[in-house]
Amino acid sequence: MRELARHPTGLVGATLLAIVLVAVLFGPLIAPYDPQQFHPAERLRGPSAEHWLGTDQFGRDILSRILHGARATIMFGLGATFAGVAAGTLIGVAAGVAGRWIDSAIMRLLDGLLAVPDLLFTLLIVTVLGGGTGHAMLAVAVAFTPGMARIARAAVLSVRTREFVQAAQARGESPVYVIGAEVLPNTMGPVIVEATIRVSFAIMLGATLGFLGLGAQPPSTEWGLMIAEARQFMFRNPWCVAAPGVAIAVAALGFNLFGDALRDILDPRGRQR
Amino acid sequence: MSDAAASVLEVRDYSLAYRTGDGPVQALSRVDFSIARGRTLGLVGESGSGKSSIAWAILRYLPANAVEGGGRILLSGEDLRAKTRQQVADIRGRRIGIVFQDPSTSLNPTLMLGRQIAEVLIRHRGLTEKQAFAEGEALLARTGIARPAEMMRRYPHQASGGEKQRVVIATAFACNPECIVFDEPTTALDIVTARQIQDLFVRLQEDTGVAALYISHDLALVSRIAHDVAVIHRGAIVESGPAARIFGAPREGYTRMLIAAVPHPDRRLVDSHPPDGAQRLLGLEALTVRYGERSLLSRMLGRAQEQVVGARDIGFSVRKGEILGIVGESGSGKSTIARAIAGLNDFSGRLTLGDRSFSGRGALDRAYRRAAQIVFQNPDASLNPRQRVREILSRPLKLYGIARGRAEIDRRVGELLSQVLLPPEFARRYPHQLSGGEKQRVAIARAFAAEPRLVLCDEITSSLDVSVQASIARLLVDLQARTGATCLFITHDLNLVRQLAHTIAVMYRGDLVDLFPVGAADAPDRHPYTRTLLDAVPVAVGSAA
Amino acid sequence: MNAGYLARRLAAVVLVLLVVSMAVFAITMILPGNAAVMILGEYATEDQLKALAAELGLERPWHVQYLEWLGRLATGDWGMSMRMSQPVTLLIGDAFWRSAALAGAALVTVTVVAVPLGVLAGMRRGRGADLGIGLFAYMGTAIPEFVTATLLLVFLAAPGRQFFPAGGFVPPGEDAARFLYHIVLPALTLSLILTAHIVRQVRSEMSEVLASDYIRAAHLKGLSEATVIRRHALRNAMAPAVAVISLDVGYLLGGIIVVEEVFAWPGLGRLMIHALQNRDLPVIQAVTLVLAGVYALSNLVSDIVIAALDPRVRYA
Repeated sequence: MRELARHPTGLVGATLLAIVLVAVLFGPLIAPYDPQQFHPAERLRGPSAEHWLGTDQFGRDILSRILHGARATIMFGLGATFAGVAAGTLIGVAAGVAGRWIDSAIMRLLDGLLAVPDLLFTLLIVTVLGGGTGHAMLAVAVAFTPGMARIARAAVLSVRTREFVQAAQARGESPVYVIGAEVLPNTMGPVIVEATIRVSFAIMLGATLGFLGLGAQPPSTEWGLMIAEARQFMFRNPWCVAAPGVAIAVAALGFNLFGDALRDILDPRGRQR
Repeated sequence: MSDAAASVLEVRDYSLAYRTGDGPVQALSRVDFSIARGRTLGLVGESGSGKSSIAWAILRYLPANAVEGGGRILLSGEDLRAKTRQQVADIRGRRIGIVFQDPSTSLNPTLMLGRQIAEVLIRHRGLTEKQAFAEGEALLARTGIARPAEMMRRYPHQASGGEKQRVVIATAFACNPECIVFDEPTTALDIVTARQIQDLFVRLQEDTGVAALYISHDLALVSRIAHDVAVIHRGAIVESGPAARIFGAPREGYTRMLIAAVPHPDRRLVDSHPPDGAQRLLGLEALTVRYGERSLLSRMLGRAQEQVVGARDIGFSVRKGEILGIVGESGSGKSTIARAIAGLNDFSGRLTLGDRSFSGRGALDRAYRRAAQIVFQNPDASLNPRQRVREILSRPLKLYGIARGRAEIDRRVGELLSQVLLPPEFARRYPHQLSGGEKQRVAIARAFAAEPRLVLCDEITSSLDVSVQASIARLLVDLQARTGATCLFITHDLNLVRQLAHTIAVMYRGDLVDLFPVGAADAPDRHPYTRTLLDAVPVAVGSAA
Repeated sequence: MNAGYLARRLAAVVLVLLVVSMAVFAITMILPGNAAVMILGEYATEDQLKALAAELGLERPWHVQYLEWLGRLATGDWGMSMRMSQPVTLLIGDAFWRSAALAGAALVTVTVVAVPLGVLAGMRRGRGADLGIGLFAYMGTAIPEFVTATLLLVFLAAPGRQFFPAGGFVPPGEDAARFLYHIVLPALTLSLILTAHIVRQVRSEMSEVLASDYIRAAHLKGLSEATVIRRHALRNAMAPAVAVISLDVGYLLGGIIVVEEVFAWPGLGRLMIHALQNRDLPVIQAVTLVLAGVYALSNLVSDIVIAALDPRVRYA
């Protein structure tokens, strides 16, 4: 933790994350207005004393909508990433441990899947399953799995050849012990770093899907969806799209910077001497 | 002007500190030495002594957090600290050269070797490109490269370690500098090549009269080529003087300790003969180890082995209580054998331990694995960073059922720690809280925890400082004597192996070329490769402490 | 680099495409259980489903269906679009060039801008220019394309301040100037994000190279800073930079989908979105394969370029 204090970008990331966390946990409590409440007399106003971020085309308070939408947006990111990391790590560790032709076969499969860009992959799956938050999360999780598998596998391979693992094998320890006690605890570092950074991608993907109408559905106040709904009116009140846009950026940036800082801290070789 | 006053390089009362997150760290304290024309000063120190910092200070290439204290650095009487950046750039390469440790990393992998020599000539001697290439070729020839024209057109990865280092040396000598700094120039090379490089340097120095600062941790190497020696410890010069005096009659305690720690064949650590009447414990017959997986395709097609052979047809036997030293260069197969015996590599042939015989890795069972334990070279990698010492040591106890229950295990762990001369509180520590030597002791304790009959030591001292090496070697010998275990000691250090082995095996490119009792090392019937090795190894100047 | 290496890489590309085709086939045909349901939607009647299933031959074992489908693709028969009643090849042919123009514009801009910026930032690590560039790079990677697109529209295409059109397409044959006029905003959107990615990577590569031993050795030979950067550092930083740029082509392909939608640019992305909304199976499959193929080929090209830059790869 002390190390984090000395890492300037890490501190920025942690601060942003703290802000986001407050919004997720307490958003609905501290929002000044009901996010669905129309205020017809005050449609498409810019920031004012009553509405700090202005109002949208129905007169709904933008700030409240953003605070409410934090949960939808961030939980999407966390959930999808968690699922993708779990599945990917399982596969990657299995490949790294099994070795030989199983490993090669899995790698070829992963290479193929990785040839499809994330968004495209997600769109395909969502189209087949239908829209909605749940399906979108599943789609993102599936799209992340090959990438995470690769990272996990690389981490396993680099640990597997270290001498303390070989010492355990030479002792005649069971494979379960070797993997569980010697290999896995030492591979979590790179996996956690990658996972943290991927949350930022998941948030952006979720927002994109929401924007395209394939993710969160109304009346959700997911930030991407907010932008989609306000598109027609963006010239009359840019705050309708700018505010959720900045919110997305803040959240994604927070995870991104924090993940980078984690990487520097956990891997001494990466640090500037 | 007397000879003594014509110093080429002088460092006078120089101090240096680094600003770190934990506060200023003193790297050099009032360092003082001088080198005259045609003389070599060997600067000897262990890791952390500050010896490399001197090189950076002289070349004016200090990192941003360096804070220079008082003192002067003079090149032929000129104060280097007073030079501007442009002047320093003019001096580098032309008046001062430098040769680094690892030619693989100090040569640009994407440029031809010829270009890397030529650019110095173009920059400092104003030659045209064509002239520079021609001159470069001549320089390479002078350093003993067989086909210089061809070498000029090669890339670094197409040349061997020795060839690359010759290129680096040629570059350093290219502009006839007044002084050259050598920072561990032969550490990354094998013994035979290292010897050749050193001989080359001595010859070139005689020809050109260059003053040389030779930085190294290896006293034996330094003793061979240095006229004067300075011993540095924790940033301060402990002792300095002519080489003969330093090695013959050292005055300071640290110097004496350092010299005593250097392996010397005459200073035996064990008796010359293993216990009498001992039975054979370990036997190898036609043992062969191959690397590399055969791809599915070649397996299906039944193609002949496309694999690399790590060790070929090895056969020897070791008696109970004996210490067999296995020596050879990297790639000789010595580690391969150890790992095969430890059950990490698959092998074909026959392996016998006691009265049990095995014909492949799959046949090795837990009883065997308990009886044959291995200690690795790199102390940083041989302990699980996420486990405390207590867990690390208790693992073999639990696995082999040697101790049960928390109380008994803790007691045994305590015993093990005291056997390797570590305080019992270390059980609570994590590996990153231990020094290299301490980690290696834990690794040794872990091996002996299993109460093995055979202990395989794979270069266990090679990654440690000189002073620590000696204590680890001694520890091993003590434990071996106490437990009666048989020991296979793999190393590239011939002097060390002559100190502690009963029998010596010599490996070359996967073959066992020689096997002899240690006393017969100088006998006339030794294999020619053994002779080459023995001739290449420097023997420390210095009487037994 | 010899013919063998090239042959193996090409074989790898083919293998990748095969895997992608299997994945696409699985996702679109098999997973929904019955592709007919997927095409016609949940409200189709039993009879409609049966008819369509028979027409598509969906009762046959799936591996037969796959091989037949693959065979048709390989011989150039990509089917007919279900919604637009035109051959898929025709639709894709037109859309491909329009997307290529957009992608090309973005890539060129990015290479010309991002790489020098990254190099500069790597050289001036920790100082003013680096922090500024780094800040921009970080923010760029945290903003999704549709946000950038929307913000650009707000600032540069609002009525009354319309510097650029808010979308649409004019064929270059018809009016080259207006074609360029329309391409600016979408290309800029793509470029901004890609630049941010690439700057970040190049910066970190460059600073790693500058910390290496051979750079130190070059300095200690007395070579000028400019020579060290030019002759020693850049060559070694370029190979990994190329690798990164080729990875970003993948990102570009995803970004194109969103950008074309926002700016109503009639390329592959827009085609894909429509096909997804209308469940136009043959188009979905074809576009996916085309995009994956482009990505795989760009990786191949980058491998060749890297081999040209790095002798270790060439002579290995």
